Amino acid sequence: MESVTFPKDEVVNFVMKNFVPLRLAHDTQPHATDFNVKWTPTIVILDSRGKEHHRIVGFMRGDEFIPFLILGMGKIHYDNGEYEVAINYFNQVLQDYPNSGSAPEAVFLRGVSSFKKTNETEPLKETYKLLTEKYPDSDWTKRAFPYSLL
Amino acid sequence: MAEKIKWESDFNQALERAASEQRPILVDFFNPG
Repeated sequence: MESVTFPKDEVVNFVMKNFVPLRLAHDTQPHATDFNVKWTPTIVILDSRGKEHHRIVGFMRGDEFIPFLILGMGKIHYDNGEYEVAINYFNQVLQDYPNSGSAPEAVFLRGVSSFKKTNETEPLKETYKLLTEKYPDSDWTKRAFPYSLL
Repeated sequence: MAEKIKWESDFNQALERAASEQRPILVDFFNPG
């Protein structure tokens, strides 16, 4: 992982500013079992109590790593029902890294967060529209298809 | 020039730091070869 992603200054600074970084050998017990680690690298984002919210298995290009981390930070708040805060993180992914692999999921979760916050279906319809326009081949676009029927 | 990432190597220590600093944890499960 380090040879691909972490030497980038921007990534190092982002990680040091926003996370507690922890590196474990893939067979470290009980954590490898607890987190079902089967392949390397496996990168997992946990909240401050140790609960998992986001992961990737396999190598990632350096320019994909920061949006992956921001999406993960948003998912911590999303999973905790803090939708307004989560939306801010998802917006940050879409503003700063709109062409990243994390962007379609950020669009999807932003729409769901808006729905959960307001109970209005319009954000879900907008989500499907935006996904079909900007990320037509994404799995997240397929997942959002039912929102077009609302 | 950025510093290198200062990795924790102990899960419980990382948890303690995360709780006191109110930060998430980034875990890199790697293959030391």
